[in-house]
Order: sequence, then C-alpha cells, then structure tokens
Amino acid sequence: MFIITCPFCGERDQSEFSAGGEAHIVRPKQPTELSDDEWADFLFMRKNIKGVQFERWNHAHGCRKWFNVIRDTSNDKIHAVYKMGEKPPSD
Amino acid sequence: MSENFRSSETKFLDKTNRISFKYNGKKYYGYKGDTLASALLSNGVHLIGRSFKYHRPRGIMTCGSEEPNAIVQIGGSGSFTEPNVRATEQEIYEGLEASSQNCWPSVEFDVGGINNFISPVIPAGFYYKTFMWPKKLWYSLYEPAIRMSAGLGKSPTQPDPELYDHNHLHCDVLVVGGGISGILAASISADNGNNTVLIDDKNSLGGSTIFQDDENFKIDDEIPSVWLNNQIKNIKNKKNLIIKHRTSLAAYHSYNYLLARENLADHKSLDERSNKLRQRLWKIRAKKVILATGAIERPLIFNNNDRPGVMLANSVKKYIDYFGVRCGNKNVIFTNNDSAYETAISLNKKGINVTIVDIRNNSSSILVKNAKNAGIKIYWNHTVVDTKGYRRIKSIQIMKMSDDGTNVIGSKINLVCDNLSISGGWTPMVHLFTQSGGKLKFRDSDQVFLPNTAMSDQISIGSCNGDFELDDVIKNTNSECKNFLSASVTDYDSLTISCPKQKESKNIWLLPNDKPLGKTKPFLDFQNDSTAKDIKLAMREGFKSIEHVKRYTTTGMGTDQGKLANMHALGIISETAGVKMGSLGTTTFRPPYTPLTFGTIVGRNVGTFFDIIRKTPIHEWHENHKAKFENVGQWKRAWYYPKNNESMHQAVQRESKAARESAGILDASTLGKIDIKGTDASEFLNRVYTNAWSKLAIGKCRYGLMLNEDGMVYDDGVTTRLEENHYVMTTTTGGAANVLSKLEDYLQTEWPELDVWLTSVTDHYATASICGPNSKNILKKLFPKLEFNDENFPHMSFKNAELNGINCRIMRISFTGEHSYEINIESKYGKSLWENCIEAGKEFNITPYGTETMHLLRAEKGFIIVGQDTDGTMTPIDLQMEWIISKKKYDFIGKRSLYRSDTMREDRKHLVGLLTDNPREILEEGAQIVQDEKKQPIEMLGHVTSSYFSPNLNKSIALAVVKNGKKLKGQKLLVPMKDKTINVTVSDFVFFDSKNERLNA
Amino acid sequence: MLNINYPKIEKKDYPNLELNLVEPIHKLNLRGKSRDFFTKAGRILSIMLPPEPNTSATIKSISALWLSPDEWMVYGKDIEKNLMLSLDSEISKLNLGSVTDVSDQWVLINMRGKNVFEVLSKGSSFDFNQFKNNKNVVVQTLLNHVDVILHHNDINNVDLFVRKSFSEHLWLWINDSSSFL
Ligand SMILES: [Zn+2]
Repeated sequence: MFIITCPFCGERDQSEFSAGGEAHIVRPKQPTELSDDEWADFLFMRKNIKGVQFERWNHAHGCRKWFNVIRDTSNDKIHAVYKMGEKPPSD
Repeated sequence: MSENFRSSETKFLDKTNRISFKYNGKKYYGYKGDTLASALLSNGVHLIGRSFKYHRPRGIMTCGSEEPNAIVQIGGSGSFTEPNVRATEQEIYEGLEASSQNCWPSVEFDVGGINNFISPVIPAGFYYKTFMWPKKLWYSLYEPAIRMSAGLGKSPTQPDPELYDHNHLHCDVLVVGGGISGILAASISADNGNNTVLIDDKNSLGGSTIFQDDENFKIDDEIPSVWLNNQIKNIKNKKNLIIKHRTSLAAYHSYNYLLARENLADHKSLDERSNKLRQRLWKIRAKKVILATGAIERPLIFNNNDRPGVMLANSVKKYIDYFGVRCGNKNVIFTNNDSAYETAISLNKKGINVTIVDIRNNSSSILVKNAKNAGIKIYWNHTVVDTKGYRRIKSIQIMKMSDDGTNVIGSKINLVCDNLSISGGWTPMVHLFTQSGGKLKFRDSDQVFLPNTAMSDQISIGSCNGDFELDDVIKNTNSECKNFLSASVTDYDSLTISCPKQKESKNIWLLPNDKPLGKTKPFLDFQNDSTAKDIKLAMREGFKSIEHVKRYTTTGMGTDQGKLANMHALGIISETAGVKMGSLGTTTFRPPYTPLTFGTIVGRNVGTFFDIIRKTPIHEWHENHKAKFENVGQWKRAWYYPKNNESMHQAVQRESKAARESAGILDASTLGKIDIKGTDASEFLNRVYTNAWSKLAIGKCRYGLMLNEDGMVYDDGVTTRLEENHYVMTTTTGGAANVLSKLEDYLQTEWPELDVWLTSVTDHYATASICGPNSKNILKKLFPKLEFNDENFPHMSFKNAELNGINCRIMRISFTGEHSYEINIESKYGKSLWENCIEAGKEFNITPYGTETMHLLRAEKGFIIVGQDTDGTMTPIDLQMEWIISKKKYDFIGKRSLYRSDTMREDRKHLVGLLTDNPREILEEGAQIVQDEKKQPIEMLGHVTSSYFSPNLNKSIALAVVKNGKKLKGQKLLVPMKDKTINVTVSDFVFFDSKNERLNA
Repeated sequence: MLNINYPKIEKKDYPNLELNLVEPIHKLNLRGKSRDFFTKAGRILSIMLPPEPNTSATIKSISALWLSPDEWMVYGKDIEKNLMLSLDSEISKLNLGSVTDVSDQWVLINMRGKNVFEVLSKGSSFDFNQFKNNKNVVVQTLLNHVDVILHHNDINNVDLFVRKSFSEHLWLWINDSSSFL
C-alpha cells in the first residue's frame, strides 16, 4: 500500500485510487486511417517496465481526477506526480 | 506437594494477586504478571510438548516470541480454544486452562514417541520421498496417517465469539520495541516535537535492561535497571508520546505502512472480557520508523541439545531476575561468549549451584573474573557432546576440544545437572527491516546480518542494529536518533556509561563430537525437528539454494519461522558448501512476524459487515412482501416474490405470465443514471455509443451500445434527451461506476475540449417499471392529466408529469417487449410511488416481479444482458446487432477495432437461440455445446449464456454463443451433461413477438 | 400526498458521540470552470465557491464544498426552490456549467462529539490529525469501503454524506464501531 499525492487533494492512501495503465498513449485522431498493426500498437502494446514507468492513476474515491505518476515498479517509489496535459517534470 | 521454584522476591510481579490456572487438567498457582511459562517453571514443570516429527519431549527454552517448543492450546474445548499459543507470551489469568499439543494420549506418555526410535528411517525429505507412490494411497492411507500424527494443536470447531476491530493510526515517528534503545528513541523523538508512538509486545517496558542489576554496569552511576525505570516514568508523562503495551508488530510494508496487533483481553479472565474487544489491528502510517526490535540469543548446536531443561542462558536470567523463578537447582552454563556469565552470577547470587562450560580458551572480562571469584567452576575449551534425561535433563557429558575446534580429545567428563543454559551469541532481529524491503549486510567479526540499505524512512537502533554492549547501545541510539530526527540536543548527550566489554569470541556453528554426525542429534529447528544432519543430507542430495534446503528440511518453517537457529543452518550450509555466509544471504522473512489469528485480520468485517450492502428506496416494501433477494454487485435486488410456498420456478412462471397478460411491476432503481449537460453533450454521445445521437429529438429515448476501444461490448442502456443540451443516460446496474469512470476518463484525457459535465444521479431517483397490456391503464390512473395515445406519448419517448405534486420523469421504454413505462421519482418518494402504483394496478392484477422474471421476459425477446450473454469477447456483430452500428459516424469508441482482421473473422462465436428437442428440458447456463461427441479432443463450439422455461411459449428457450453460429441456424447440436446428452437446434434468438406488435398494444 | 421515506437512521448517543440524520436537506452538484460560472454561482448563492482543495465556505446555513477543481456540492436547509431554479436557468440553461439536484443522491448524517475522529479512523485511512484541528475542511474518502464526503464544519462536528443506497449499511457500521470506543 503506497501513498499517492493527488495533484489536487494531496497525500492519500493507495486504496483511494485506481490504476489506469501506461501514460502518454494518445488515442489516434483518425483511427480509420491506421493499419491493423498501427491500431494494434495503440490498443495492445504496453511497456510494462521493471523500473521507472509513466502511469495513469485516477483518484477514484476522492476528486475523481485522472493524473500521471512516475513510479519505479521495482520498489514502488513515486518520483513525480503531474496533471493530465502537463509534460513530465524533466529530471 | 511439589517443590516451589519461586526462590526470590521480585518487584515485577504482584505477590498479593495469586492466580490459579490449569495445565493439562492439573491446578497450579502463579502471580499476576507471570507468563504461563514462568508460572509453570515456578511449579517445576519443564516438559511442555512433543516435537513435530519425532515426538521428543520438549520443554520451555526461551522467554519470548522466539519460543519453538512451549506451544500450547489455550482454553478447553468449544469456541474459545486457541492453538499454537506460546507459553512464554501468554500471561496467566484466573481460570486459565492450557494443555500440551502434539501428543497423544498425554505429554508424559506419547505414542508418537516411537518416531524417535525409528528416526534413522525418517530423514530430511522423508515425507516427500515416501508418500509419492502409489498415488491412490494418498487419500486412503498416507494423508489420514500424517494428519493423525502431525499438526500443532486443534483449531476451534465453532465460530469465534470474540470481538476484533481495526483502527488506523498516523504518526510522525513510530518506535518498535520498548527496550532501552526504544525508550530512548521515543523520548528523543517526543522531546523533539514529533507525534510519537512506542509499541512493545510485553505488558511493561524495559526489555532486558529492566532487570539488569549487575554492579559492573552503570549509567550515570546508577545500575541500569534503576536508571531505566526512571526513564520509563519520565516518558509516560510526555504529551506527544503514545505508548502501546502488549502490541506486537505483525508486518512492515513499503511506505512505512505497518500492521500491529494490540492485545486487549488475552491476559484477562473470561468474565472480565465479555463483550469487550479481544484484539485490535492497528494500521499504522508513520512518517518515520525507528526499529528497536532487539536481538535473540542463539543456541549452540550439539548432540541432544533439545531436552527439557536445555534453555537459553539469557532467558534463565530473566526467569530468576524478573520472575524470581529458578529453572533448576543444579545449573550448567554452556557458552561461547561473556553474556552468559551474567546469568551465572545472577544464579550464584541466589545461591544456585552453577558450573560453566566455555568453548573459548579464556576471557579477560570482569564478569569472568567475578564468576571465578564467586567460586564458579569453569571448563575452558570444552564442549558438550551429549545430554541424558528423557523428560528432563539429568546430566551432560563434556569433552575438551582440539585447538582448531573441529574435534574432541581426551576423556568424557560427566556433569550432573537439571538445567543447561546455553548461549551461542546474539542474532539481531532484522525480520521487520527486511520485510520493508531493506537489504542486509554481513558482519564477519561476530557473524551477524545487519540492516544496510532501507527502502523507506527508517533506522534500526540498539541490538537489532548489531550493538550488543550497553555503552554502544546508548551512545549509538542517541547519535543515530539525533541524526535521523534532526535533533540538536537530547537528554542523553552526556551520560557516563560503564560496562564490561567482550574481547574474546569464538563461534562454531556445529560443535564437534566424539561420534560421527550420523549417530548424533544436533537440533537446529526445534519445532520442526530438523538437525544439522538433515541439512548436510540435503546438500549431499544436491540442494544448493538456501530456500530449497529450507523447504526440503523444513528448517525455519514452523510457527516461529526459525527465529532461533536459522543462522546456524546458514552457517552449516556455508561451511559445507565452502561459500561465505555474507554472499549466501538469508531466507526471506515474511509477515506476520508472529502468527495472527484470523479474527484480527478480518476485524469487524464479519457477518453483516462481510460485504457492502446497497438497498433501493423500495427495499423495505420487497422485504415486507416476502421477496427473495439476489446479489447484483453490492445491490440486494428483489429476485422473485414467492406466494403460498411457491418454488422459485413456480413464482417466476406466475410473474412472467402476469406481466405478459396484464401488468407487472419491477424495481429498476439500481440502474446507473448519469446526468449529462453541456453544449457538446450530443457529440459526446456520438463518440461513446455506436449509434448516432445528434438527431435524437428532445423528449425522445434511444438505446445505446457502448464498446471498449477493442470493439467488445462494454455496457448498454437507454439515454433520454431532456433538453437541447441535457441528457440522462442509464447504464447496467453492475456497470454504473465503471461507465462513469470511463466517461470521465475520456473527457479528462482524450477530449478535454468538449463542453460536457457528468453527474451521477443513480441514488437520486427511484425507478418503478410497469409493463404489460394494462400498463397504460394504470399510468392513466396515476397521471390523469397526461395523454397516453401513441401520437403524444409514443414508444421511446419521455414526459414529465406530477404525481400528487411531485415531478416524475416517465420514459416509455421496454426491456420485456411489452408496452411499458419507467417512472422515475426523487428517491425519498420511491416507496410511496411504488405503493401508489400497486394500488392503482390492483384492479389489473399488477404483479411485482423480480430480476429472475425480468431475465426470462427479456430472453423471450432475445434482448442481451451485458455480462451474462457477453463476456468481453463479443462485438456487436457477434451479437447480430449490426443495426446499431452507425455507418456514417467517422469515429466512436471501439469503431476501428470492428475492422480488425480478427473481429471480422467469419467463424467467431455468435449469439444464437437454442431450442431443446424436448421442449420440457431446460439447459444449464454455462453448459458447453458440441457437434460431435466422439471426436477427440472434443471441440467446444460455445456455451449456453441464458436459459429458461418460457411460460408464454410453453417451452424451454436458451441463448448461447456458438462458433460460426449465424450459419448454423436450423442445425442440430449437442449439450453433453454429466448424466445425459441434450439434443438442441440452433434457432433465431427472438423467440416471442418478433414483429414487436406488443410494444404498441 | 406522497410519503417521504428515509433509510432507517435514528438519533443515537454514544460516549462523546452523537449521531443524527439531517434530512430532508437540499443538495446541489455544481460543475464548471469558466470565470462566468464562478461569478454567477457566487452571486446567486452569495457564496464564493471555494477554489482551494479540501475546503468549504459557509454563509448562514448554506455551505459550498470543494469536491474537485471543477465540482462543488452546495447544501443547506435554506436552499429554496427559487434558488435552485435560478441556478439552473442562469448556469445550466446558459451553458456555463451544470447544476444538478442531488438532494436524494446523498444522505446527510451528522456526527458530533470528541469521539468523531476515533470512529472515523476505524474505517478510513485518511490522516485526520490536521483535519480535526481545522474548521471548514472537506475530504472525500472511503469509510469502511464506502465513498463518503466529510465536512468538518465545526470542531468535532462532521457532516457526513453517503450515497443513499449505501447509507443504511454504513449507518450500521458507524453504530457498531461506536459501540466499542
Ligand atoms: Zn484528488
């Protein structure tokens, strides 16, 4: 159980959040133009890194906002939290 | 009258409070503050149990949670009994009943003891090797036999009547362990303005220093026990310090999340604890953690080192100095270090006969000098090679060791004794540190694993960090806490401490013997009966990893998790394999540190609170009308309403017929409802549903199918356009929360430019759904002002209307195929609305129906239920719902996936109808469908998703998903069941009123 | 006449804890982010919607609770139908944001007394240490696995909002937890 700092509400227990997979995968604007492989790449391919990973989380039982988290999956250390639409902190 | 072993006064017990208890049916006495172990020892009882494998007699060995042997059953029979309780931790109370475990018929005479004599044939891995073949004997022979002779205690056969609860605790600093370093740390932390919590598993603070009265130890010119006692008084008054006694840490997770069990009643008599909490599980979040968990004394590994009366030296000291109990009249102390001399001196002062056997050549410690001066005989450079005595140690044999320590030389000396106090040095308790993800390092000088790098904000102090001398403990605790808590000054900066320092040390993991190893029994894991011999056998057989050796020999796998002798096992492995211990590593320490009872783990989440219950505003009415309820997610939904002892089948048949013949009423309040507002609301619906929404007129309703991005059906429901920019969407009951979350996700992340606002109103409205040919007549009675002709209020449209001055939203929509209305009202009026409907419908025999009838009625119409007829692998095309996919829309969620090569495959599973050749035969939902039973391997074509007996069609109907089903219409297939095979024919899935004539009837 | 029915929640007293149902009471959900939305809402309600996370603003008997950067709950005994209508017509109808009546979506339970946070801590992982010293703070969290909105409107006085369908169950749990303080 880690602690996540919601960019709006502050530090909360992990139980208030739900995970939403890899971050920064943008839904293609014109899906019909894509080949099966390109669409499959968007749909299915995820990195699942052992180490520092960019993730989406939702403060499901709080403000219900989605945001991004940089987490090291090998030790659950959270390096940064930032809002949707923001660039990851350069560090 | 048995001998009284309580030999001295002690301030730690309340001598005015004499307590009687029963052990194995016999009455004994002790004092308030005694543990069961100390009370038994004071009565001269050493023999407590039988070992796990060989059933050897075993006695009390320690005074704490590391106890491997003295494990007892507490409570007589019935619900209050608890197995596997350590006698060294259980405090006695008036009326306590305890008994030995793992022995039959009694601890004194145990039939299983025969295992001891046949032990050469049960070596390591015996169970693995023996009970492999023939397999069929497992159930009939091996397993019952093993179960008879094995096992630790009896689990209660009745529900636990005790109360447990949970509580969260947030603090700046958590200090674990109430010994001297924990007390100093808590004091420093609190003084520095931190909200501090100190937890300790005993009933009082002080660890082993609180009974350290030796004159050679001084803190500011006071003996340590006196000095520490003052400190304890001092910290009790600190405002921001909470002290929790009888609280043991069970688990230390990442982010400084810790679980601790507080024992509130186990030391109280049954009368005192009625209706009170027994234990509380604290869920602790600490900003910083200070571990002061201490060290455990190591045993020494030699032949027959497990007899009752063989105890750890420091525990013997605690029994005499703290509990005033002598563990024998003639003691031998067997050691490799100076600390055991403190025990010798304590015993000697109380007039108890002591002899010392030391594997070292000498020691320059003042303690040793004092022991000599007191006239205690010391055998230097000697080791114990054997012990005698079955139920209690009677004598030992010692021999001189060769200079290199690998052999014994000379002749045996026999020493008569009734207690052998052993000390093999100290092992820091790093379990919690490693549980939290910390990495260890190995210190070669005294062969201990120590905390190295931590994953969270924490430090280890005192002996769990490898400081074993009093001055090191205090000074390092002070400096490390200062550093950790950024404190500039503390009360302990200028203490003067004097204490003996150990200079000579010697460690031999497996002591030499005059007999070959195979002829000896040097126990490592006392609880699981594994010996040094087993470890070496495992290694000869090719096991190299310590994790494998552990499992093969079961070393360290008892309830004590091998706290005592894991280090010796590692030492022997590393010596045998020629690998350095530091690089060998340790086995993984897993939570809980000490066993937890299930009651503590679940807390109050039992019975009523096992799971969340959601109720509709009309629930009470259903209850009053004897409805049976079905769990739908967390909801309790009315399932069916049996009348006059009807079976479920009978009730459902009656309800279904009534709904089609006249009128039925369903509580549909559980459907998810989302209020959608904003100038882009229509565009938003275009993107989330497969069909088009822009042209939906105000006041009209439309059914929508929502897909996942992978093209699979996710949810469905009817959405109504209330105003130009205002819709209300309904979702499935189970999908409500997920749909809202998914829609918010798209709005927040993919389409932030859309002007759309979502608000859940699921609980705001209660919904009564009235269907059947007479539904219109009932509505007319309720809403006389409303015009119900098809022009004004057609199917798939919506009206606002007042019922007794309260506004209702009425949708003319149907999930049953009947002419039907859904009336939504603010939920506080829900029950009243329902009652009004029932009243108005009386003359039309309005029949309340539950979810089962609803499922049947919609199945007759071939309407799907998402999650029952679909499972996340069905596209709308698979469901034969091509009609709902807009061809004109450029994009919607999941659209592109409908054109993937896989989703366009012709032979996917499709939704079809199934009719049994025998119309009375009802298929089982989930049953597999095949074409050819003889084919090997048999090909599974699909499965039955919904199945009912339709009273309106007077035959059995079913929905199924079948491979290539669209092309199989009219074909015969088979549904093989356990006792028969059912013949079915693939059919259309709309069984009833396929022209939808009844909707407008 | 239609009868009003609430879940079975009646006043209860425990040591240093008093539990009460506060219903019926009007509750509105407001969503929006534009300047105009804020101005309009502020003017109609005579309360500035608090922009600061986890806070509330109260004037007379009407409180506005921050729920998210674009969502507030407004509740109070004195919210009249006219006020609701003008919010709807001047915000929803003018597409400045959304105003939704959620009076029956939530049930309001008032908890007051020194033991309020003791009981809440049994079922919530939220750290109440700071919260309990501050008035006009709000938290949305889980209480015994159920979503709740907690409004600390006065020291040791908490308005707890729970969705109606969960309310009876949570009420039983609160009572159970209050019985072994
Ligand atoms: Zn948040």
